[in-house]
Amino acid sequence: MKEKKIRMLLTIARFDGHDRGVRHLARKLRDFGMEVIFTRFVYPRDVVSSAIQEDVDVVGVSFSVGGHKSITSEIIKGLRESKREDILVIVGGVVPDDDVPELISTGVGRTFGPGSSAADIAQYIKDNMGNIKD
Amino acid sequence: MFKKEFLEEEDKLKAQWKESYDKLYKGKEFQATTDSGIQVKSVYTTRDLEEVGFKPEMPGVYPYTRGIYPVQYQFTPWFNNLVLGYGLPEQTRERMDLLKEMGARGYFGKDAYNLVFDLVAKAGYDPDDPEVKGRVGHAGCHFATQDDFDYLFHDIDLTKVSVVHNICRATLVQIALYVAYLEKRGIPITKVYGNSMNWLWSFAFVGNVAFPPKSAFKLMAEFIKFCCRNMPQWNHTNIVSYYVEESGGSAIQEAGFAIAAGIAITEECIKAGLEPDEFLPRVGFQIAQAADFFEEIAKVRAMRRVWAKVNRERFDCKNPRSLHLRMHSQTSGVTLTAQQPLNNVVRTTLETLGAVLSGTNSIQTNSYLEALSTPTEESHILALRTQQIILHETNIPNVSDPLAGSYYVEWLTSKVEGEIFRIIEQIDKRGGFVKCWESGWFKEEITKSAYEWREKIDKGEKIIVGLNKYVTEKEQKVPVFKYPEIEEEALRRLKEYKEKRDNEKVKEALQRLREIAVLVNETWPEHSGELMPAVIEAAKAEATLGELQGVLREVFGWA
Repeated sequence: MKEKKIRMLLTIARFDGHDRGVRHLARKLRDFGMEVIFTRFVYPRDVVSSAIQEDVDVVGVSFSVGGHKSITSEIIKGLRESKREDILVIVGGVVPDDDVPELISTGVGRTFGPGSSAADIAQYIKDNMGNIKD
Repeated sequence: MFKKEFLEEEDKLKAQWKESYDKLYKGKEFQATTDSGIQVKSVYTTRDLEEVGFKPEMPGVYPYTRGIYPVQYQFTPWFNNLVLGYGLPEQTRERMDLLKEMGARGYFGKDAYNLVFDLVAKAGYDPDDPEVKGRVGHAGCHFATQDDFDYLFHDIDLTKVSVVHNICRATLVQIALYVAYLEKRGIPITKVYGNSMNWLWSFAFVGNVAFPPKSAFKLMAEFIKFCCRNMPQWNHTNIVSYYVEESGGSAIQEAGFAIAAGIAITEECIKAGLEPDEFLPRVGFQIAQAADFFEEIAKVRAMRRVWAKVNRERFDCKNPRSLHLRMHSQTSGVTLTAQQPLNNVVRTTLETLGAVLSGTNSIQTNSYLEALSTPTEESHILALRTQQIILHETNIPNVSDPLAGSYYVEWLTSKVEGEIFRIIEQIDKRGGFVKCWESGWFKEEITKSAYEWREKIDKGEKIIVGLNKYVTEKEQKVPVFKYPEIEEEALRRLKEYKEKRDNEKVKEALQRLREIAVLVNETWPEHSGELMPAVIEAAKAEATLGELQGVLREVFGWA
């Protein structure tokens, strides 16, 4: 039986200037066999609606200039309200270590800091897809 | 150009070198390229200088490869141009004072500040726009109204200091607010010094929101025209190609795109009725000083040469200052790692040294925390000290262009020059800079080169210490910067500002601005020169940054 391809929404705010890492990751995850939709978003609700419309298994959000706490919690709240808490949410980019526990307690699977390898991220997704529940 | 006997002696020695090489490394050939992909040999000789047509040159003399001034740092050290900005304006002011106290200076020992505004202001949004939530005062100073200038400058004599306003896409609007503020303080705008980015392209090639290319060039030309006529000491334009290399472009792509951008701006200003000699003396460049030590030095030397040639040959400039490429160099953020962050002190030191040896005019040394956060006080001071140690302790600044005549550096400078001209030709063939921007060609080129770079790292072909080699399990803990929580205060101030002003007057001024903006846009360049005064009128009527930019976005497009 052919394995179902993992679908992922990889996204960064329209406001965020630094997207070199996330654009590279989009291409690498495709190379690893995932279906990756890469978009820029305006509001957190855009991430929620795209994730649901595109029926993805994973959402990855990149940050480099703050906003990670409020935006991530709104995304997770939106997914829960839409009964889609099965969607794994991961966060990447420049996120201070001290903020990581709060993100995890909100429902983020894991955070990946600068220099993370795409292979590690792909492996984490494969191992944890759909396993994160509140 | 070299004496025959000299060359023959060198050839003889080279034959001996070859013999000893072959004996030691039988059949083994050394292969290497610069980070931009220029093939290099393991040793260079006079023959290589001959190959590239090496010519005698002096600093301060056309084509200015060796520097735009006859002396470099002996009488005027480079500008310690460290960017600063975070939180509310008064918090940024604290950092301004700290760096000044620590000895940061501009040209001629003047007080100078390089203010970076947050991404919200950089795009021209007010903090109450729902899109910017969570980002106010991050990665730059919050700014929304002319009152914010007062928090920054209230007790500073602005005719004596130089201020860089690092704000990119909201340049016109922000300077209009500055002009309104200066008038309130009774300071003539003819007497202020400083620098605007006026480089509406920043971030555009990574897919961020911006004015469309054609509009951006109209707006840039409008700003330049205003400054030429009203702010004679203001450096109106800074072509920021730093982002090209930071987003993954190579050094030669960065240099080529930057010069091509300069050509496009010049052409647009000519359309708007300006003479190149009128505005080119106040155009500057901001580039990355990245990891490939010699290539980055060659890049700066080659760019000075190409800019002088282009402006003389293409635009028939007579004013020597139009031929001078004034350069601000920033050490590379993307070369810094979050792993073993103290290693970044070494990286930025080497990059700062490269910038000094290239004869740049102004340097920003990044803080070693760049991959993790905005600079803390301690890391900011260390970045400044890096420049001061090179300036005062190494004796390097005693000699202008000390690498001149180096077989390798001169050969590489000429190679990079050739590559820059090749890129300019490519852009010309594709219909010019604006067409290449519109078609997404720049973005494609940059993305391709970024991908190749990262692939090399992942495969271990390119070594980054602490990232893919010499990796340690033990984490190096360093204190990072914590942003003050300011969003609520920023919103409160904005609300108060709007309540206090004459809102009817603002509405009328914005309406008037809209009419003029439409006229300038639709009839370009017939009514060029009319936009900036209208933005200033509306700024004086106390419209906010977001309101003013909102009109420009609506009229000139925004995507």
